[in-house]
Amino acid sequence: MSELLAATALRELVGRWLADGRRVAGPQCAKTHDDLHRHDLIRYGWLTAADQLLLAGFIRPLNSIKEFVFPRHEELYSYRFKGKQIELLPIETDPREQIIIGARPCDAAALGILDRVFNWDFRDEFYNRRRELTTVVTLACSEHDDHCFCTSVDSGPGDTRGSDVLLIPLEADQYEVRCLTEKGKRLFAGQTAASTTEGKVLAGPPPRLDLAAVGDFLDGGYENPEWQKITLRCLGCAACAYTCPTCHCFDMVDEGNAAGGVRVRNWDACQFAAFTVHVSGHNPRSVQAQRQRQRIYHKFQIYPKKFGELLCTGCGNCTRNCPVGLGVLPVLQSIVDKSQKNVPSPSGREC
Amino acid sequence: MSQPSDFQPKIIAYVCNWCTYLGADLAGTNRLEYPANVRIIRLPCTGRIDFNLLVKAFEMGADAVLVSGCHPGDCHYTAGNYHARRRWILFRQLLETMGIDSRRVQFSWISAAEGKKWQQVITEITEKTQELGPYAAYREICQAGG
Amino acid sequence: MLDELREKCKQLLANGTVQVVIGYGQPAEAGGVVPVFITTPEDAQQLVWNDQCFANLTKYLLRSEIKALGKAAICVKGCDERALVVLERESQIDRTQIVVIGLLCDGVGQPRLPKCEACDVHKPRAADVLIGQPPADGQPLPAEQRYAALAAFLRKTPEERIAYWMAELSRCTKCYACRQVCPMCYCRQCIADKNRPVAISTSATLKGNFAWQITRAFHLASRCVGCDECSRVCPAGIDLRLLNLSLAQAAEKSFAFRAGMDPAAEPVIGAYREQDHEEFIR
Repeated sequence: MSELLAATALRELVGRWLADGRRVAGPQCAKTHDDLHRHDLIRYGWLTAADQLLLAGFIRPLNSIKEFVFPRHEELYSYRFKGKQIELLPIETDPREQIIIGARPCDAAALGILDRVFNWDFRDEFYNRRRELTTVVTLACSEHDDHCFCTSVDSGPGDTRGSDVLLIPLEADQYEVRCLTEKGKRLFAGQTAASTTEGKVLAGPPPRLDLAAVGDFLDGGYENPEWQKITLRCLGCAACAYTCPTCHCFDMVDEGNAAGGVRVRNWDACQFAAFTVHVSGHNPRSVQAQRQRQRIYHKFQIYPKKFGELLCTGCGNCTRNCPVGLGVLPVLQSIVDKSQKNVPSPSGREC
Repeated sequence: MSQPSDFQPKIIAYVCNWCTYLGADLAGTNRLEYPANVRIIRLPCTGRIDFNLLVKAFEMGADAVLVSGCHPGDCHYTAGNYHARRRWILFRQLLETMGIDSRRVQFSWISAAEGKKWQQVITEITEKTQELGPYAAYREICQAGG
Repeated sequence: MLDELREKCKQLLANGTVQVVIGYGQPAEAGGVVPVFITTPEDAQQLVWNDQCFANLTKYLLRSEIKALGKAAICVKGCDERALVVLERESQIDRTQIVVIGLLCDGVGQPRLPKCEACDVHKPRAADVLIGQPPADGQPLPAEQRYAALAAFLRKTPEERIAYWMAELSRCTKCYACRQVCPMCYCRQCIADKNRPVAISTSATLKGNFAWQITRAFHLASRCVGCDECSRVCPAGIDLRLLNLSLAQAAEKSFAFRAGMDPAAEPVIGAYREQDHEEFIR
């Protein structure tokens, strides 16, 4: 027994969510003035109308859904100087429910990872509040490109981690709706029709990594000179970290003046040269190769040792967004697995 | 003719210490009245003006910005204003492209002897900005969340 | 042309003229054409040259890990070569210590990138080695053509323009890919990294993004050579070239200056003339 929903009905439902005053985010075309732009960008963003939502015809958005629970800029509290006193004031928060529709399973799986980090040694109320307000509706992937490697990192096109509802595309513009949590059931209650047709999650990309070989290499390979060679072209920007569903580093800054200001939390990235600069001026990761190495170790050794799962869901965004074609998969393939790949395909920017 | 308005614009004036600041002072000692809307920020020389300062002025709620210094040839540091002028020529184009209201950014040369000119320039810029109204676009930019 | 390039680089490495060739390659796992650093004559076979060779490799000449490899040969297209002129003018490189391999280019990208449609440097002008056949035309393009995209943009009203930038810059995440890819952004401590006190907000808010992009555009005034790498690499697809074009046009209009075209030209910022125009100054 399954529950089905037509694509048109799904879009109408999204329209009703918006009309109800709920915040809804999903993949959309961030198109700008056609005569001045040469590419369309598909990104997750807040929808203002149901017809903006894109559900097919592309591999995956170029950003991730983490920004809806872990925004790139978040105000923590504000402060005012009153003579020698400091007055702290809370920031008003948005109480509205938020729904992420059409998320990729590799994005949703990352939420579980973020849940752990933000509740590990300290309960992060800012993160938890947004997480609580969020319902995630994932869409099982019908296609992949050469950058996808979810199946090589214990994930796949039908991964249900982090998801409240999984939609599986069926023939004739329909979806099977699998409600995975109470939140999910509440969202789709009464909207679907029972059926005997069951959706099938497709196979996903072929294996591209041997995790055991990666683990072995990392155990002994910290000083391997290949790190320098492979990462020499890295520019040291944060395109990989900021578009990654699992990267979660942040910087806290006070922004203000003599009268007062706001303490904010902004995204930060281990790839920036100044990320590990000490007050003394010493920088333990002063060379880009060390910073690239650290990123791989964090994702494939340090985090797994601590939390029992990889800090990577194989979405491929790091490589898609990297100006020089680095990213987790190319680096690991270069350094661990020397086998040939198939002919590369263009990056996933097409609409 | 502009209507009498309740709107009191905030004008930030970045002025050089040796000419315009003294010119403003002269206006004061001569009891020349000029609108109190201007907030004067004194710098050693117009050559020190970084365009960040103009952007910050708008971020902090300025409705118009004036940048003023010594006449060419009279710079206390010989050439600071010449360098500044070069930068201003380029920067105006950037303002145009960004759509930042260039009517709200004014440049002038006011010497230490030109108290009258200071009075005139400030009066003009205040009246003009009153007509333009508050700089709503930059407020919106500053209030947008992350 | 590719064979000529590979053979030349192989020779340069084999006879010890250079210790590293900075060029374009297509390693299988990269999924496209990327910068490569060839250090042995055999590896010269990895070099490629095609219309996917987007990167401006001159950025790498300033990296200490790459300088440590020894004397370099660098592959440049005409647009990239302009960066070498600016870098030398600013004392960041010594041309006599670099072998410049100029690649004759009729454009990159499919379809061709906007910069290629406005290009008049198909042939690198001061290369030590020139690879490829010169194109039939070599005429300088009139300025109207080179700034056509900007002219089209400026037909919008100021209100439309600022609305455009508010929409575009709302996507900026402060990843600084634009800065990192730019050969002219070589400050050891970028103004954006200054925090005692903070000069530019690091927040990826509209306010912070406006402050950053205005500052970066201005710090590149009369230095940007129009390689457009910043626009290409932006993960949020922001058309940064419009900002750079506007300052380039101002430099050309007011001072007849184009960055990187004439090694002997006096720079715009850092020099002045008593007769610089000032009709806009009260």
